[in-house]
Amino acid sequence: MRRILVPLGIILLWALVALLAPMLPLSPNAIDLPQILASGSPDEWLGYDDLGRPIFDRLLVGARTSFLVAFVVVSVSLIIGSLLGTVGAYVGGWIDLVLVRVIDIFLAFPGILLAIALAGVMGPGIDNVVIALSVVSWVGYARLARAQVLSMKERDHVHAAVAIGTPPPQIIARHLLPLISAPLIVEASFGMANVVIGEAGLSFLGLGVQPPSASWGSMIRDGTRYMLVAPHMVIAPGLALMGVVLAMNVLGDRLRDWLDVKSQTRKTAEGLIR
Amino acid sequence: MIDLKRLCALALLILLGSACTDPASDAFRFGLASAPTNLDPRFATDATSARINRLLYDRLVDFNDAFEPVPSLADWEQRSPTHYRFHLKMNDHPFHDGTVLTAYDVKATYDFILNADNASPHRAPLAVIDRITVQNETSLDFFLHRPEPLFPGYLVIGIVPARLIATHYPLYEHPIGSGPFSFLARPDETRLHLLRIRDQRRFEFMTVPDPTVRTLKLMAGEIDMLQNDLPPELIGYLENDETLKVQRTPGTNFSYLGFSFEDAVTRQALVRRAIAHAIDRREIIWYVLDGAARPAQSLLPPEHWAGARDLNPITYDPEKARALLHQAGYSLDRPPRIVYKTSSDPFRIRLATILQHQLQQVGIVVDLRSYDWGTFYGDIKAGRFQMYSLAWVGIQTPDIFDYVFHSESVPPRGANRGRFRSTRADAFIDRARAAPDLETKQRWYVQLQHHLAGTLPYVPLWYEDHIFIARREVEGFTMARDGNYDGLTQVRRSSPGAL
Repeated sequence: MRRILVPLGIILLWALVALLAPMLPLSPNAIDLPQILASGSPDEWLGYDDLGRPIFDRLLVGARTSFLVAFVVVSVSLIIGSLLGTVGAYVGGWIDLVLVRVIDIFLAFPGILLAIALAGVMGPGIDNVVIALSVVSWVGYARLARAQVLSMKERDHVHAAVAIGTPPPQIIARHLLPLISAPLIVEASFGMANVVIGEAGLSFLGLGVQPPSASWGSMIRDGTRYMLVAPHMVIAPGLALMGVVLAMNVLGDRLRDWLDVKSQTRKTAEGLIR
Repeated sequence: MIDLKRLCALALLILLGSACTDPASDAFRFGLASAPTNLDPRFATDATSARINRLLYDRLVDFNDAFEPVPSLADWEQRSPTHYRFHLKMNDHPFHDGTVLTAYDVKATYDFILNADNASPHRAPLAVIDRITVQNETSLDFFLHRPEPLFPGYLVIGIVPARLIATHYPLYEHPIGSGPFSFLARPDETRLHLLRIRDQRRFEFMTVPDPTVRTLKLMAGEIDMLQNDLPPELIGYLENDETLKVQRTPGTNFSYLGFSFEDAVTRQALVRRAIAHAIDRREIIWYVLDGAARPAQSLLPPEHWAGARDLNPITYDPEKARALLHQAGYSLDRPPRIVYKTSSDPFRIRLATILQHQLQQVGIVVDLRSYDWGTFYGDIKAGRFQMYSLAWVGIQTPDIFDYVFHSESVPPRGANRGRFRSTRADAFIDRARAAPDLETKQRWYVQLQHHLAGTLPYVPLWYEDHIFIARREVEGFTMARDGNYDGLTQVRRSSPGAL
């Protein structure tokens, strides 16, 4: 359990920062031209960006953008993907066939390229980034949910529910979804990390948040032009992004171990033998 | 932090080292931000192509520092208001294939451009030409539809061989001109090899879009020189490098804010005037452009022969801006809302963000939107904007006012993108166009610029300087006001070993 708390603590800390950012006395968009590219000082220890804006303030506000996008995209993708995958697998027939073909088509195309194309067509903006990333992210959940339901629907308790005339929506909601939730939660934790990187990538390409709003991706993009004269512009958001993505990946990894009943049983058995 | 910077530079240089080009070559290497798109002067329109083509081709006429037309390949005499005779300076400039440039080549070049079937983008200003007749190999006559005192200044397009025009030779791939440089090869889109004819020195033009990579290549000696297209901070950084030297010269590229006159907010003169007074040009020039610009009052710089030297500068006065907005019926509760479009170039976004901030200080809510160049330029040409920022590059003749501000110059006929319609401006432009001599034209153009300074279809921002950075051993480059690369004809290395 303690192995989960460390990455979870990091993520919750940033999530709390993202949540409280509007209430904090920050001035992320206050331009102060004489401070352009000034490095860290006791007053502003992360320094200023290419418009004389405090990097610390922008980092905190940028976290809000990253977490907001990650939360919305993963929630939307999880709901849509799980529903489609579950219904397709349970109903079977041509509905499942169509779903599998659609998933194959989406998987055949690199996700980030599709997101770039969509964001490019719809125009820059954080709302369009959410739509673009959601469009490419649901596939993973749908595939996982479908695979899980295909094995679960042959179990005795499901057959029993069918035998006593339980309606299919109720079977899905009560007897299938609770059983497949563990792998989906693990997938969502990995998905959060991918979406944070996806948002950063799209903002890096100019398709994400629009000036003067801050996001980690746009901060890194702006900073790369000044690597020689002001590396602090890239280092702060770069480390923050790396830390959060690493924490999300580690959390997903450890959640998988923790939720894996077989793994837990094996560990207990090993303990008993010793 | 200094150590960190050095570490970053070292790491990037090591990475760059893996992609080094042949260090043994003694060719001069010139770094470009964008590749020339067309090496045929009859079709080239972008600045890089125009500058490279000046090296490859000669032209009849050029401009001096006051933007007055001066003889280049030919002298001229005006025999009547609609008749000009040009006399070529022969033997100095054979084509690179060895043939002699004659009046027949000049006629063939301009006849080609005037033929609508060839769709040359340079045809519109030359449409004043009625016919061209060759007197002999060294002289030819241009007859015009109407008197046009500016006419010699229109003949700045590079001359191509008539023989090659007739055979549809692909000059855009294998240019053959009579300029001081000849074409050697273009191995790929990012590299262009030219030969300086007088000393058989090779020049390689390398396209490196990313300014940081271009800077690192210059520091590593992979390129010998570059001009413009660097963030001011990088220029300051390079000025401290002992192996490099930096030259600056005032430029004439005009940056401005444009407005839609079909929009309910931006068509109000009071709002445009408020915007003009809300922008602190001097602060932006000092802190953001590193002093490498000068405030602009008009599309033409004051040193231009038709420039208005007595225009009152637009002062930074936020209080006045607020008062003007109040006068226009706006308040803090009901602020004017403007969508401001700009290109996705990071430096342009940076400038736009500052302007957005300064406008917000006086109570104008600005929604900044950046687009890739194609989308942005398409929107501007179609009039899909409230406010945008752009720059006019390479302006030489005052008939640009006709192209930009006349009510009949709405795209596609011209570049009146904001749909500005002013009977007074039209009258000034028409009178200037019909004026029989340059003095009268100048008078009307100056009056027009005073009128435009009052109505503000554009809010002038600044003229950006040209910056040339080279390895210390590179000498002899003379910078031009329009940023051309003609200085390469005299450039040399000071180190005897390198020669």
